[in-house]
Amino acid sequence: MKYVERLAHRYGQQGFPPYQWTINTEAPLTPLRRPLAECRVAMLTSGGVSRCAAPSWDPDARNDFRLDVIDADAPADDFQVHDSYYETDSAVEDINCVFPIERLREFATEGVIGSVAERQWSGFMGRIYKRQHVLEVAAPAFAAELGRDEVDLALLVPA
Amino acid sequence: MLLSTGLDLTQQVLPPRSLFVNHPMGNPFGRPGDGDQQRRILRAVLGLAERVTVPGTIEMWPEPWGEDFDDVIDRTLGAMGPS
Repeated sequence: MKYVERLAHRYGQQGFPPYQWTINTEAPLTPLRRPLAECRVAMLTSGGVSRCAAPSWDPDARNDFRLDVIDADAPADDFQVHDSYYETDSAVEDINCVFPIERLREFATEGVIGSVAERQWSGFMGRIYKRQHVLEVAAPAFAAELGRDEVDLALLVPA
Repeated sequence: MLLSTGLDLTQQVLPPRSLFVNHPMGNPFGRPGDGDQQRRILRAVLGLAERVTVPGTIEMWPEPWGEDFDDVIDRTLGAMGPS
């Protein structure tokens, strides 16, 4: 699906100037330090996912840098999903469609991964236009939290 | 690693390791209740950490979604406008 082309078309139709996309020409790569079966894994969903007892996300959020901790043992039926940027029906029915916490726990039990990090994450949802803030503040702060938990692998899942 | 449903967007941002699944947004790990599919995709994306040696690699998930979802994209993009 050509999201870039179609978004540019829609923005143009609404009279907005061309969107300034982030275009990177190279990527960093940190080699794995140990076998996957020994790795501690954390996931981040940006799909407007929160625990039922937590506040719901603003489905139309703009520049919302809230970041929720999701406990590793959170029951799969204890989530709510609020995000107007995608169709949430599947995620509401089965949170594993966007945030496969049950599958990750199974992999830990079976020894596919070493462990599920105690803190899983939900954030960076909605429309975030403050690119510099992401690069210089929010993303490094998130990475520091992963470091505190001695996470080996982080899996990022946009909805 | 990144699990992506937007190939062109991912090619622009170029995360270190990505798996592209050609699914509608909202279904990166597949359909509700299909734990086997969720497991296959999760295993594949975790495996990137073992396999990828070239930064910016985007692997393609080989299983098709199985039905057209162009109408879902149109509705999604309608909500994604900047206003």
